[in-house]
Amino acid sequence: MTELITIPGRWEFDYTYFAGEAASRFFGELKDSRRIMGVRCPSCKRVLVPARSFCDVCFQRTEEWVEVGPEGVVETFTILTAAFAGMPKPPVVIAYVTFDGADTALLNVLTGLDLSNISDAAHRLQARPRVRASFVDEPQGRITDFTFTLL
Amino acid sequence: MSTRVGVIGIGQTPYKRAHPELSSAELIWAAVDEALRDANVDIDAIDVIIAGVAPDALSGENGVEKTAVLGSGKPFLRVNTGGATGSSATFAAADYVASGRAKMALVVGVERMGQATSSQNVFNTVFDPIYEKDFPLTTITMAALRASMSMRVYGYTSRDWAEIAARNHRNALRNPLAHLKLDVTVEDIMNSPLLAWPIHRYEACPMSEGACAMVLAAGDVVGSRSVAWIQGLSSMTDSYAMGDRINRAEGSLVDLLTLELSARRAYADAGITDPRRQVDVIELYSPFSSAEAMTYPALGMCAPEDGPRFVQEQLADVSLPVFNPSGGPQAANPVSATGMVRIAECALQVRGLAGERQVPDVVRAVATGQGGATQFSTVCVLGAEPPE
Repeated sequence: MTELITIPGRWEFDYTYFAGEAASRFFGELKDSRRIMGVRCPSCKRVLVPARSFCDVCFQRTEEWVEVGPEGVVETFTILTAAFAGMPKPPVVIAYVTFDGADTALLNVLTGLDLSNISDAAHRLQARPRVRASFVDEPQGRITDFTFTLL
Repeated sequence: MSTRVGVIGIGQTPYKRAHPELSSAELIWAAVDEALRDANVDIDAIDVIIAGVAPDALSGENGVEKTAVLGSGKPFLRVNTGGATGSSATFAAADYVASGRAKMALVVGVERMGQATSSQNVFNTVFDPIYEKDFPLTTITMAALRASMSMRVYGYTSRDWAEIAARNHRNALRNPLAHLKLDVTVEDIMNSPLLAWPIHRYEACPMSEGACAMVLAAGDVVGSRSVAWIQGLSSMTDSYAMGDRINRAEGSLVDLLTLELSARRAYADAGITDPRRQVDVIELYSPFSSAEAMTYPALGMCAPEDGPRFVQEQLADVSLPVFNPSGGPQAANPVSATGMVRIAECALQVRGLAGERQVPDVVRAVATGQGGATQFSTVCVLGAEPPE
């Protein structure tokens, strides 16, 4: 019988992602003003958060900027409870929150919730609690400049 | 469709964690050779080859489909629509034949992710690098975000997810190609490790390797071969951003709007007016049991608010379609091939060649595909009779 050979491999590439005009302005607002910004579609009138350059449903450019939040409501969530390579150490809560004044929900980490009992924490989050965007001490102009915290 | 299209050949390798005995080329060869034999044609009869491969990083090989360039002098395409890759590739092949550009098309989906040692890390890179990649967003957490919303909006329970998973695993015991053959109870599933609330390990798909290939033929060259006719097919896109669908009035993140619209159109082409009675088998692209529940209303099985009740109904009512006789993606999820496997399994059922997992007297079967953050949906209806 032939001995089956395996060959080690590793992909290790570096990238620089270009955020583009709309996200760059969105991130600038986070860093300089600690404000969450959306854009209003001129056609469907939805306030889209996070900001982007066009409404993909109406295929319209979005040029009207609108401040939303900083409070909102948890729409859905999960609590990562298992460890995976490359992922943060569990438990971690991620949630979609609709900020006050927005028509779409934004994903971020939810912090400050007692996770000693996962089932109790999930039960609390299923009640659509209100949250606030809490900023880090020194915003860097990234989506990680804030997390959701329960009111 | 302008020209009738039928599936006349099917080849599948077994699905398992890894095939260390086969190179990627050998994996493709195994499925293609079986499909050509089943169709009783040789490679020279094939007019076009379409390969389906999802993210390259899952295999660590760029363009692993290059080894599916079989025979020379033929047009060749690669398709990647995430989880819908296999069904999208099949649709491209069907369109080639339907348009008259090819008499016979070979489609092959190959998944080589057994070579990956950190696949969830790879899956994170399929999400938006600007607003999303910094969070632990993976296929598992994406499914979990929807499962928890389904529980809140429609009242599904953890037990519902486990009941669906138990049926899928039970069915897989009759499928010699399945990767996981788990003889587990609902309680075993609910007690399996929690991956991301509310999803337990046995409610999630495994990481599987394998290849699937099919030969599609125009009606006038099918001859006396055993055939499953494509009676209807439809694919539709949706907004990528999941957050944009949370508050959408016409169908929220857990309503699978474009799967519903695809089903409506494919059913119309196939002459289906009552899918609960006119469909015998449904093979779902649902890597998680919670994702399966979202398809019930979309496929016309029940009203959205009756979803939890339908979980029990489909277990008890034998007049309803049989869901995932193969065990579905929870028993084997070779990502690049999975959508094609759904169509292949439906074709085997229609042709009466599904062996131990054969459902009696299958006249019509429905296969779904879903890709990315379900921004791609496909529905394919296969039947024993050609479309009118």
